[in-house]
Amino acid sequence: MATEESPQVTRRATRSYSASNTAIESTNLPESYKPTINDLGFRQQPLRLEDLLSSFPGRRSQILELLRLLGPLNSPMFPILVYGGPSTGKTSVTLQVFRHLNRPFIYSSCITCYSPRILFESILNQLLFHRKDSGHSYSSVKRCERPSDFVNYLREALENVLTNLKGNSGKVSSKMSGRPDGTMVYLVFDNLERIRDWDKSSTILPFLFNLNDILKMPEVGLIFISNTSPDTYYLNIGYVEPIPLYFPDYTEDDLRHIFMANQTNSRLYASFLDVVLRPFCRVTRQVDELAAAFSSLFKKYSEPLSDKEVAPNEEMKRRLFSHIRPHIASALNETFQVRSQPLLKAETNEETKKTNSSRMLGIREDFDKIDFHMSTSAKYLLISAFLASRNPATLDASLFDSTGVSDSRKRKRNCAYWKNFKYSPRACYNLTLEYMGI
Amino acid sequence: MGREKEKEKPSEKALNLLRSRLSDPNFIFRPLSDSPDSNYSKLKFIISTSVTEACNNSILLLGPHGSGKVAVLELVLSDLLQQYPEAISVIRLNGLLHSDDNCALKEIARQLCMEHQLLFSKVASFDDNSQFMIAMLRECGLAHKTIIFVLDEFDFFAQGKQRLLYSLLDAMQSVNSQAVVIGVSCRLDVDQLLEKRVRSRFSHRKLLFLSPSKEDTERFMEHILSLPMDSSLPHNYAAEFNGRLKKILSDERFKELIDTYLSFNFTIGHLVRFLFQAVSYMDLNAGFLSLGNLKTALSSNQRQLKLESIRDCSVLELYMMVCMKRLEVKEQTSYNFYSVMTEYKSIHDSFQTSDYYAANVCLRAFEHLLQCQLISFIDNKGHNQSVEFRPVKLLISSAELHQGLKSYQQCPAILLKLMDR
Repeated sequence: MATEESPQVTRRATRSYSASNTAIESTNLPESYKPTINDLGFRQQPLRLEDLLSSFPGRRSQILELLRLLGPLNSPMFPILVYGGPSTGKTSVTLQVFRHLNRPFIYSSCITCYSPRILFESILNQLLFHRKDSGHSYSSVKRCERPSDFVNYLREALENVLTNLKGNSGKVSSKMSGRPDGTMVYLVFDNLERIRDWDKSSTILPFLFNLNDILKMPEVGLIFISNTSPDTYYLNIGYVEPIPLYFPDYTEDDLRHIFMANQTNSRLYASFLDVVLRPFCRVTRQVDELAAAFSSLFKKYSEPLSDKEVAPNEEMKRRLFSHIRPHIASALNETFQVRSQPLLKAETNEETKKTNSSRMLGIREDFDKIDFHMSTSAKYLLISAFLASRNPATLDASLFDSTGVSDSRKRKRNCAYWKNFKYSPRACYNLTLEYMGI
Repeated sequence: MGREKEKEKPSEKALNLLRSRLSDPNFIFRPLSDSPDSNYSKLKFIISTSVTEACNNSILLLGPHGSGKVAVLELVLSDLLQQYPEAISVIRLNGLLHSDDNCALKEIARQLCMEHQLLFSKVASFDDNSQFMIAMLRECGLAHKTIIFVLDEFDFFAQGKQRLLYSLLDAMQSVNSQAVVIGVSCRLDVDQLLEKRVRSRFSHRKLLFLSPSKEDTERFMEHILSLPMDSSLPHNYAAEFNGRLKKILSDERFKELIDTYLSFNFTIGHLVRFLFQAVSYMDLNAGFLSLGNLKTALSSNQRQLKLESIRDCSVLELYMMVCMKRLEVKEQTSYNFYSVMTEYKSIHDSFQTSDYYAANVCLRAFEHLLQCQLISFIDNKGHNQSVEFRPVKLLISSAELHQGLKSYQQCPAILLKLMDR
C-alpha cells in the first residue's frame, strides 16, 4: 500500500567494486568541475548583431527571422523547426543567435544521443547541473528510460532552474556577472532526422513534437533542427506542426563570400576561385566538401609563385590557370574527403612523386589498385566470399544446421537457391555480373 | 543592462502582450465558449451534474488537433474547482506517455498520492497500484469526492489489450465510487476501437469539436489582436493600432488570404500559430501590424518542399534523377546505383556531355539524394547490403521533377530535352 514507507534498498557491493573504491579514495582526485546556472548560457563574450550578421554571409534573412520568432526577452514562443540541407549553417546560426541573445539554453544532438534513454538523461544532466565524472562512475543524475518518467523529472528540473533564473533577474545586470538573461529556458534538439531510424521512433517523434502541449509551461521554448524537410515527419498521428524556418543551400556568390573570409592574400584567392568555383559547384555545393577540395588545390595553384603575397596581374593569372588546369579535371573525379592526417600525407607525397597525378594531389589515397599477384582461384574465392557475406543470417543458420536432419521443405528451398550454382568459373562470373545489376 | 532604465517602446510592449496572449490557450478559447450551446457549457453541465448527484459518468471529446479540446476541458475544470473546491480531484494521463498499463497505473498512483499527501513508493508493483487505486475510489466515493480521469490521446489507450480502460471502468461500476472518465482523441471513430466489454461499460456520450463558422472566426481574430485600452500602453497608440487592425481585417485581400490559409488548416490552433508568426514579423520601428506581415507568414507556411529540395541539388544530382526517370519510363521499375550509372554512361556516350564524373563522386551525390529523401530504399530489410546494391525508388513525380528542372538556374539544356523524350 502506498501509505507504508518505501522499503530500504540495500546495495550489494561486489569485491571488485569495493576494491576499486578504496583505490580511488587513496589517490588524489583532481577537482572536478561543477556546472552552475551560468553554464546554461553560451559562456563566451556575447556578440553584437552586426558581428552576427557579418559572420554568416548569405544568411541575413534567416537570422533576422529566427530572432523575430524567438521574440523579445521572456516572451513565450511556439516550437520552431529549422530545416535545410547539410552544412548550410543551421546549428552554428542557432548557437550563435543564442550567444548574441545571451539566453539560457540546453543543447542535445540526436547523433551523440542515439537512443531515447541517452537523450533524456543528457537533457536532465544539463538541467540539474550534473557532470559525468569518475567519482560517480560516469553515471547520469537520474535513470530515465520512458517518456513518462522524463516528463516528470523534466518538470521538476525546469521549475528549479526557472526559480533560480527568476531570482537572478532581479539582481545586478547580467552582462557583468556572465549570467544568462531572462526567465525562459530553450531546448534545442539537433539532427532530428536521426530519430526516424530509431526503433521507438513512432512514439518518440510525436512525443517530442507534442512536448510543448504536454508540459504546458510557457517559459520553455523548443527548437528542432533537421536535415530533412518537414514532410518527412508527417505521421498519421498528427499534431500542430512547428513553425518552419528554411535554410536554402548557398548560392555561388555566397560561397565566394564564405571562402574569401579570412584569406591572407585575397586577390590571389579571388583569382583562384574564379577558376575553380564554377566547375566544382556543378558537382556539389556543400561547404565542407568544397573546403576540403579547395585547400589542397590552392596549394597546387600557388606553387609556381615564389612570393605568396603578391597580387596577380592578368598575365600571371593566365599562367597560373594553365598550370592548374590539368589538375582540376582529375580533382573533380576524386571524392571530397576531409583529410585527418595531413602530416602522413606529406611523407607519402614525396615517396610517390613518380606515380600518377591523383597521388600527387593527395586528395584521395588509391585503394583501387592491388599491386600484388593473385591466382585466378584466389580471385574467385574472394568473389564468392563477398557474395556469401551478403547472405542473410537465417540462410547461414539453416545451411550449417548441426542436427543434420532437414525436412523436405528446407531441402527444397535450399535446392532452389543452389540449383544454378554449378561450380564452374563461367557460372560464377555470370552470377556476379547479374548480382551487380550489369 | 542599461536597457532596464530605458522605457520600453509601446510597440515592444504590444508585441509582448500579443505573443503571450496567442500562446495562452485559456485566453483563446474563453470567448469562443461563451454561448450557451457551446461545448464548454455542455461539458460543464455533464461534469457538474455528476459531481452534485454523486454518479459515475464517461464522455469522449473528439476533434482534430488544435481545435481546443483540452483547452476547453481545462477551462471547465478550473471553473469547477473554484465552485466545488473540496469535492473534485483530477488525474491526468496522456496516451503518448502512459499507453503501457504499468506506466499508467504508476502514474495514477503517483498523482493520487500527490493530491492527498501520501507517500508514493516507486517500487510498488502493478497489483499494488491497482489495489491502491480501487481502494482510493471506494474511499473517495464514501467521502463524496469525485475523481476525474482525463485520458488525453485516448486512441493510444485503446491499443493492445485495453487492460487499464477495463479495470478503470469496471472499478467505476462495481465499487461504490464517484468517478468521471473523460477521453480526448483526434480520431472520430475511437469508440469503434474499444473492445466489446469496455464499450458496454462506456456511455456513448461524445462531444464534437469542429471549427467555428466564418463570422465567429472573424470576431475571434479581432478580439484577440486588439489591444486593450485600459492597460499600461499609451492610449493613442492603442487606439491607432486597433484602428489599423480594423482596416486590415475588413480588407478584401485579407479575407482572401485567410480563406486560403483556412482551407488547408481549419482549426483554431493552426490559425493561432499563423497569427503568432504574423505578429512576430511586426516591424518594431513602424509599430503596427501590416498586411505584409500576414502575407510573409502565409508564404512561409505554403512552401513547396520537394521543389525546394530539387533547387538545392547540384547538377550531378539532377543528372542522376533524370537517369532514374528514364529507367522508369523504360519499364525498369527497380533500379540500384549501378543501373543508374549504366544509364548515366549511355547518356554521356550518346550526347557527349561535359558532366561526366567518376563512380565515387556519383556515389556521394547518390547518398546526398538519399539524405534529402528525394529517393529512398524500397525495403528496409537489406541492411547488410551496401548502398550501391540496394534497390531505390524516386519519391517525386515526373511533373514535379520537370517543374524543378525548369525553375533551376543554369540547368543544362540536355536534361530538359531528356525529360521530354
